[in-house]
Amino acid sequence: MADNGNPYRPIKTSVLEVIPETPTIKTLRLKPDEPISFVPGQFIELTVPGVGEAPFTPSSHYSVKDELKVSVMRVGKVTEKIHALEPGDTVGLRGPFGSAYPLDTFVGKEILVVGGGCGFAPLRSLMYALFDRSAEFKKLLFRGGCRNPGELLYRGEIAEWGKRSDLDLVLTVDNGDSEWQGPVGVVTTILDNLPMNCREGVAIVCGPPVMMKFATKKLLELGFAEDHIFLSMEKNMSCGLGKCGHCRLGEYYCCKDGPVFPYSSIKGFGNIWE
Amino acid sequence: MQYIAEGNSVELLRRISGTYEVYAPRKNARGYSLERWNSSAAPITMGGARMSEPLKAFFFQPRQLVAENFSPNIPPLSGKPRCIVGVKACDLAGLEFLDRVFNAPEDRDPFYARVREQTLIIAADCTAALDTCFCLALGIDPFPKKNFDIALSPVNGGYLVETGSEKGRDIVTSHSNLFTEPDEAVLSKREEQRARVKRDAASRIDECGVPSVTSSEQWIARHYESELWKEEAKPCVECGACNTICPTCHCFLLYDQMQGGQLARYRTWDSCLYKDFARVAGGGNPRHVLWMRLRNRFEKKFDYAPKVLGQTGCTGCGRCVAACPGKIDIRNVLKRLATHG
Repeated sequence: MADNGNPYRPIKTSVLEVIPETPTIKTLRLKPDEPISFVPGQFIELTVPGVGEAPFTPSSHYSVKDELKVSVMRVGKVTEKIHALEPGDTVGLRGPFGSAYPLDTFVGKEILVVGGGCGFAPLRSLMYALFDRSAEFKKLLFRGGCRNPGELLYRGEIAEWGKRSDLDLVLTVDNGDSEWQGPVGVVTTILDNLPMNCREGVAIVCGPPVMMKFATKKLLELGFAEDHIFLSMEKNMSCGLGKCGHCRLGEYYCCKDGPVFPYSSIKGFGNIWE
Repeated sequence: MQYIAEGNSVELLRRISGTYEVYAPRKNARGYSLERWNSSAAPITMGGARMSEPLKAFFFQPRQLVAENFSPNIPPLSGKPRCIVGVKACDLAGLEFLDRVFNAPEDRDPFYARVREQTLIIAADCTAALDTCFCLALGIDPFPKKNFDIALSPVNGGYLVETGSEKGRDIVTSHSNLFTEPDEAVLSKREEQRARVKRDAASRIDECGVPSVTSSEQWIARHYESELWKEEAKPCVECGACNTICPTCHCFLLYDQMQGGQLARYRTWDSCLYKDFARVAGGGNPRHVLWMRLRNRFEKKFDYAPKVLGQTGCTGCGRCVAACPGKIDIRNVLKRLATHG
């Protein structure tokens, strides 16, 4: 966290651009008055003045310090207001908070990234980091799913990813339409027969809780080691400092010790998926 | 160790009140409460038992402005620093717990740290135990051992005086004419008195069958799926009184509003018993049923806190027992955790 003296004050930030992505998701391009440096996995708290704060993981490239992008699904009070923002509006940012994906431990390994719905947002930032270092990894696979083709986030950009030689990409939708050429079914249906050695590989999962639950179950069946499955846990992160108590998960605070956890470290804590 | 006669102790408070805003306990119909002290006010009750209210509001305000507009500045404190007199051992333990949360060297909360730094704590022995006291079960004796600047033990109409910090030693040294050397009789009187209060507290614990909570770490795991949570949660009305009155409960809510056209961010006490405490924006709620939230309260205090913070999140003060309108008794829950299933 940037040492700005007061850990609760947001940094004044301008909305540069609002990009409609899907019927329920918009991406904001933001310019904070002071640069915010994050690494993939970390999150920020976005303030709509007078309305409140909500946690988001940046979806932009970690190396760009003076701007960042967040993709926001309209689900509640704060996100409703975020969707009403226009270029030129002022918001606030705090952070970054939490842990990073341990990319250095992935070197020399085969990596599977599994995304669902709005989980593509944090994963885009991770994918940029993986692409930057792709020569260091043995193999890179992306398996993603969403409800229908209209809800596929970053559709154009991901189509470009499909042309990359360093990425093996498959996308699925729960319900297809007349134009959808790919597989139809939930994301676990495209996890069979992966062209990788699952027992030695690393998996990263990000998406809605129910998707994470079933994807993790599937990955364990496929032979991934419990400490090689990295989950991005969605809890009610608020202060970002491990003090306000809202995001406790067993012995951890998601905001400080997470939000990225190896499955092995949290599997013993009651019902982690709710 | 020093001795101070009653009259001199009033003079000491008078002198301290030149620098500090002094709060001292007075007995009332509800028990003991802190009141603003001045030299013409009625005599204070140094001994007795813990105050009705916990100390936390002095350091961690129920509602505090923590950010204005986008300014990194922390609003300056106004008024004199405070001196709190007559603090009992359970509340000193509560303060130690809050220190672990808000004042860890690598991770200080600036709002807490600055008030903690400048506050003077004058602790005192308990000379009585309340029906709900069970500090001994937490390994806490009913007299101050640490976390104070000055500690007073009421004996023979005056006080035996110990110091626990540089700040405390400075005060005793600079007013040395108010103190005398204690004689043996006073020292042994204090030991007798402490032993008596301890026996009294122990008998109340025995009556209720409160187990020793010093090794509670497996209790929650063992009872995680137990029916006891559903049974205990039945009379809970989600009022949050147990959280509010607890000396270690520290969860808070950040909420924003516009004030004079500017962003104003407040930090307010929150309650983990409230339905939306852990709810996320999409509607998911890991503790959507009340008994899960009651379990969470115990998990945080008796599992998370000893493992992660190195101290159990309960001081045996018994305030939640008295505060709960549903009469949920933490001592009874602990008894069940230690023996049930």
